[in-house]
Amino acid sequence: MSSHPAAVQARAGISLQQQRARAAFWFLAPMLVMLAFVAAWPLLRSITLSFSNASADTIFNGNWDWAGWKNYVEARPRADGSIRWRGVLVDPKWWNAVWNTVRFSVMSVALETILGLLVALVLNAEFRGRALVRAAVLVPWAIPTIVSAKMWGWMLNDQYGIINDMLLQLHLIAQPIAWTARPDTAMIAVLIVDVWKTTPFMALLILAGLQMVPRDMYEAARLDGIHPMRVFWRVTLPLVRPAIMVAVIFRLLDALRIFDLIYVLTPRSEGTITMSVISFQNIREFGKYAEGSAQSSILFLIIAVFVVLYIWVGKVNLTGEGGR
Amino acid sequence: MARAVSIRRKSLNTFWAWLVALILFFPILWTVLTSFKPEAQAVASPPLFVDFDWTLQNYRDVQAQRAYFGYFWNSVVIALGSTGLGVLIGIPAAWSMAFVPGRHTRDLLMWMLSTKMMPAVGVLVPIYLIFRDLGLLDTRTGLVVVVMLMNLPIIIWMLYTYFKEIPGEILEAARMDGATLGKEILYVLTPMAVPGIASTLLLNIILAWNEAFWTLNLAVVKAAPLSKFISGFSSPEGLFYAKLSAASTMAIAPILILGWFSQKQLVRGLTFGAVK
Repeated sequence: MSSHPAAVQARAGISLQQQRARAAFWFLAPMLVMLAFVAAWPLLRSITLSFSNASADTIFNGNWDWAGWKNYVEARPRADGSIRWRGVLVDPKWWNAVWNTVRFSVMSVALETILGLLVALVLNAEFRGRALVRAAVLVPWAIPTIVSAKMWGWMLNDQYGIINDMLLQLHLIAQPIAWTARPDTAMIAVLIVDVWKTTPFMALLILAGLQMVPRDMYEAARLDGIHPMRVFWRVTLPLVRPAIMVAVIFRLLDALRIFDLIYVLTPRSEGTITMSVISFQNIREFGKYAEGSAQSSILFLIIAVFVVLYIWVGKVNLTGEGGR
Repeated sequence: MARAVSIRRKSLNTFWAWLVALILFFPILWTVLTSFKPEAQAVASPPLFVDFDWTLQNYRDVQAQRAYFGYFWNSVVIALGSTGLGVLIGIPAAWSMAFVPGRHTRDLLMWMLSTKMMPAVGVLVPIYLIFRDLGLLDTRTGLVVVVMLMNLPIIIWMLYTYFKEIPGEILEAARMDGATLGKEILYVLTPMAVPGIASTLLLNIILAWNEAFWTLNLAVVKAAPLSKFISGFSSPEGLFYAKLSAASTMAIAPILILGWFSQKQLVRGLTFGAVK
């Protein structure tokens, strides 16, 4: 043992700390490099492509040229002096996709929040078979979207589907409806499946908030003879509002990029095509790499604005620091 | 008197809870039932619930025609491989952020999470090109890597929130006793964080199992997992709904079994420990 244990320890402490700081850097480095590899760099390259004329022939050998803003908007003078506008920003198909995305996001998130809150309230009460019910409720969330889309596509089928059969039996409809094929019902079909799949997840996040409300509070309110609805509006809702806000924002960001459900359940439907789907179709099916990249870049920009707004305005506790 | 009321209320709660569960579970139940029907009875009107001729023929057909087990094995490799690799990279990274926080740790977490919100289609072409150049298209290695990278932010974020709940003094004590950094993480931190790591593993296995965008776009045949198996399932001629149901049941069965045995950890994982 050294004759000056304190001094040795202090020196060792400093070098230990340095060692830790260095290790921390090297532990983070691979993650940062990899995230840059899948997020930052490809994104920049996509944005680059959106200013090019890359097509199916040129994308793979790199022989494309710059096209400026042409993919976004371009004015072409006609022989008679009038101007023809071209590009994504003046394309009615694109605006239809934007409208569908907004429509879908607002409606699905609103429905899922309300139903999720109701389900959470039910699950938070005391009842028999808690474990079984919770497992059953989680199932729709846990199974792959592709499978649920296929399953529901069949259940909503106009000839063989059980949904039409049930609605007919209940005399809610006079004849079977081809839910996924008709332009006016395709969005309803997509909403049904998405609400079915995602409400459990919402319910669980809200349940997490509900479980923090002390039970004694309900008991006290009940003994004081306060009406349960009043308790809900005055006590429960304000207490779970932060949990609901986080869940809503997460879902909204998810809904804005919806892809696989629509791509499998209602492909080719003008009534449901969203920004992600139209961009994907241009890229993968029509070989319009430049146009599709322009569309995905706009979608990225919209989502980025939402994310920034949300971090800035909400100050929502994303990193789990402080009270939860 | 009070007791009678509470029993009645509990019964009412039970009724509502079971009703919700039944409505949510019904589509799955219907699919599983249909998978045991002969094709003709699968489309019978009015629908048959139990009084049909139970058969396993659909399962045999699906395996014979579509070679289910090849896809299944690819799914297992991708789900386990990507999650395992992600956790190996994630534990040191989460350790850094939780126990050696710097000025930028918070920004780093935010940036990491924001990559999760990026629309996948926005990076499809560049990643496809990288994969093609590296010869990773339609390989299991490529899919393991890409799925791992997509879930890495969630893995690190979850581990970080669990690690933060572990008092740093315990790790410090281990250091004072002469433990090296590797030993500190391996023998002190990891065993204490086992529940958190288990939740992280489970949630990410499920996310990886359900991943469809990248597996559909980057796999063709050799490395194709169950997402490809299901999405390719349609037949313009003849009835195929019972077979589709059998295929769907086979695709979700592993998840249902895994989920059933690990519900508690899963709920904890989904809500970051808030729902016990």
